[in-house]
Amino acid sequence: MYIQRILRRILTLLAVIWAAATLNFFLPQLAPKNPITEKLTQLAETSGISGNQIAVLTEAFNERFGLDQPLWKRYFDYLHDIATFDFGYSISSYPTRVGDLIGGALPWTLGLMITTTLVSFAIGTLVGAYAAWRRDSLLMQAVSSVLMVFSAIPFYLIGLVLIYFLAAKGGWFPISGGYSLFSIPGWNWSFALEVLHHSLLPALSIAIASIGIWAIGMRGMMVTVQGEDYMVFAKAKGLKPRRVFLRYGVRNAVLPQVTTLALFFGQVVTGAVLVEIVFGYPGMGNLLLESITLFDYPTIYGIVFILIVTIALSMLLVDLIYPLIDPRVRA
Amino acid sequence: MTLLEVRDLCIDYFTSTRVIHAVRGVSFDVAPGERVALVGESGSGKTTTALALMQMIEPPGKIVGGTAKLNGTDLLALRGDAVRASRLANVAYIPQGAMNSLNPVLRLREQILDGLVDHGQRLDRKAADALVAGALKGVGLSPDLARAYPHELSGGMKQRACIAIAIAMKPDLVIADEPTSALDVITQKQVMATLIAAQEEIGCGLLLIGHDMGLMAQATNRVIVLQHGLIAEDAPVGRIFTDPQHAYSRMLIDSVPTLGKRAETAAPAVIAKPEAASLMEFDKVSKTFGGGLFGNDAVRALDTCSFRLADEHPQIISVVGQSGSGKTTLARMVLGFETPSTGEIRYRGKPMAAMRAEERRAYRREVQAIFQDPYGSFNPFYKVDRALSLPLANFGLTTQGGSARSRMEEACEAVGLDAGEVLGRFPHELSGGQRQRLMVARALMIGPRMLVADEPVSMVDASLRMTILGNLQRLKDRFSISVIYITHDLATAYHVSDYVLVLHKGRIVEAGLPGDVIERPEHPYTRSLVDAIPWPDPNRHWGTGAPDRAGWDARQIIRGQSAGFVLNAAG
Repeated sequence: MYIQRILRRILTLLAVIWAAATLNFFLPQLAPKNPITEKLTQLAETSGISGNQIAVLTEAFNERFGLDQPLWKRYFDYLHDIATFDFGYSISSYPTRVGDLIGGALPWTLGLMITTTLVSFAIGTLVGAYAAWRRDSLLMQAVSSVLMVFSAIPFYLIGLVLIYFLAAKGGWFPISGGYSLFSIPGWNWSFALEVLHHSLLPALSIAIASIGIWAIGMRGMMVTVQGEDYMVFAKAKGLKPRRVFLRYGVRNAVLPQVTTLALFFGQVVTGAVLVEIVFGYPGMGNLLLESITLFDYPTIYGIVFILIVTIALSMLLVDLIYPLIDPRVRA
Repeated sequence: MTLLEVRDLCIDYFTSTRVIHAVRGVSFDVAPGERVALVGESGSGKTTTALALMQMIEPPGKIVGGTAKLNGTDLLALRGDAVRASRLANVAYIPQGAMNSLNPVLRLREQILDGLVDHGQRLDRKAADALVAGALKGVGLSPDLARAYPHELSGGMKQRACIAIAIAMKPDLVIADEPTSALDVITQKQVMATLIAAQEEIGCGLLLIGHDMGLMAQATNRVIVLQHGLIAEDAPVGRIFTDPQHAYSRMLIDSVPTLGKRAETAAPAVIAKPEAASLMEFDKVSKTFGGGLFGNDAVRALDTCSFRLADEHPQIISVVGQSGSGKTTLARMVLGFETPSTGEIRYRGKPMAAMRAEERRAYRREVQAIFQDPYGSFNPFYKVDRALSLPLANFGLTTQGGSARSRMEEACEAVGLDAGEVLGRFPHELSGGQRQRLMVARALMIGPRMLVADEPVSMVDASLRMTILGNLQRLKDRFSISVIYITHDLATAYHVSDYVLVLHKGRIVEAGLPGDVIERPEHPYTRSLVDAIPWPDPNRHWGTGAPDRAGWDARQIIRGQSAGFVLNAAG
């Protein structure tokens, strides 16, 4: 039964990916601009290519990228390519392959986002639960208000404030980048420390806001759970407050949070575009921005496809994990 | 010698505008091994008193005075960790909401053991297994259930599990707060028998809280009647039922319906003519849930049945049975919320499946529902007037404020409410009984021909039940409204209905006039149901034996027909 359900989920997953990928293919075709012309016009402004040359070049590039083929053929080629994770060449950074561009940016973003998401989920959930548990204490009421304020501020705004005070004024942190311009990336301690040093401010700006979001959600759930009959019974059983809080309260209140967390993971690939831009962080966000401004279709396709796959995978993850933490949905 | 000595207990609730004296100087004793009833209507302070013994009064409530000595130790003077330590070990509490009292994500085993662990017991795996198995067996549950989660248990099993958890440390005093209020009579009797057996086994005192005098007569030695936070009467069970001293005790006792005193209505000897116009007709209707494409096990919720409710003889038809008997499925089909799996339902001769939009609208207007929960039926943000006038607006019946108002007043008057007192108020300002009567009034607003009432009085105080049901009876005569009364309470069905259907596992096992079916039941299942009614008479004990389930599947018994209601034996 469980195997059957997993198989069905995986089939759904493939169907979702196919449908989204198809949309992903056709939507940009509606845009009125031609990427090749766009790129060449840019080129023409900096170097001196004539209009004639542009026309010839455009034709050559169209052929090179297969843009002269009929739409249905391009669609099937596209499906074949993405199934093998081959996104072709980037138009804006020709002749780099899109796969290499994404491969270079993805670890930066994943490292930053997964760590900050997990850390802020853990902290936010516990703080929110405790704020509900001690609703009557003035301190916790103050904490709740502060969290609510932070949860309402966008990531990048916090980022700008942090840069101003801690980097520009204080000088304790670098203002931008994933590592300093002068060092050579490599697997050694000094470089790892440098990466960590550079990632702290972006991480902090994401964490501050998302801790607030997690805490507010958890606080609401925990207040509801505290009104449940089993909480009254747990107290009447003379259980230690710690057990009532964790095993009875948090254990039940966290269930919807886990769903949100999994959906959150679906967004990690592009989760903090603006933060990456503010901090000049060499991740997926920056790559996405660049490729959009330059109408670099292959790269956009590639990023969006990775995004679709991660969202679909994280939804599969919810379906697989939820029965493990909530016995009521095991059927 | 006394086990528990409560003296001058006072509990106040400090709301923002005033102080409510919930419990005002209550004093009583409980002897070792004694079972004492704490009886009163909602708001009488009975649960507050019980929670005070556990120091579980939540703000804005506060214990403002008094002592409660258990074996010489004042429970109210305990401070800090001693409060927690005395719970379960000395005073145990069995909560009211059996359905939701267990943590849904933990196995029973853990929920039995965690209390012991937090009271300093160290058990190795083997000892723990043995203890859990013993605790479960002690309340009549299979030891295999140790690994079960709460949602895998029935209501009765959950309440047994709560009992097992509460008595695991053999406390000196057990407080049971309406432990059976959500259970049907057969399950109620079995759970009470389990609770009493366990209590006698460990020899503790039992404080049984409730509002059902019948149950108290069967289960306790002494009854304390609370009213407005004061003790109205405190007497042995043998005396209070024969010679109540306080008018309030007498009222509580008299409000419990008993058999034999039924006011017979006009002799229902006339058999409805088959050609008479029918209001609602079930033609070989059955309902099966599940099955189909995904291969889940199909559940037969209602076996094939056929009946016809005539138009000109309004009737109150009671449908009785335990939970899972199919009575709610039947009600939902009458209301059109479910469609039959086989057969046809006809309203005024028109098949429901073939109704056009405006016919369906007329049907929706004429067939109204009254639900179980008078607390959840109202939107708390609106005055009750809105709930009453909404049906009028929905059916486009009136637009003038004045005529709506007069209709509301009429409807209130019809259900015995003072319109001036209830209209213009918010739901939370009204009592459960008032709200439930308002729900009846709401249904009346648009001139229905039929009411479907699913357990309309199970959540209101016992003393109000007969009043509300009496109201339904008068409405039937005055407005010619037929009523389908769904309940597990045979005693009320006996008094209000013209015809009774007894359902068991989706099958009508016995049907007939209430005088026959409930006073002289013939089917073994009906007999078990009637035997489980707690009579408000300690001398008429309901027995301790488990019901004889062997005959429950015996064949159908139909005894007599009623004017206007024809049941087809053939199905």
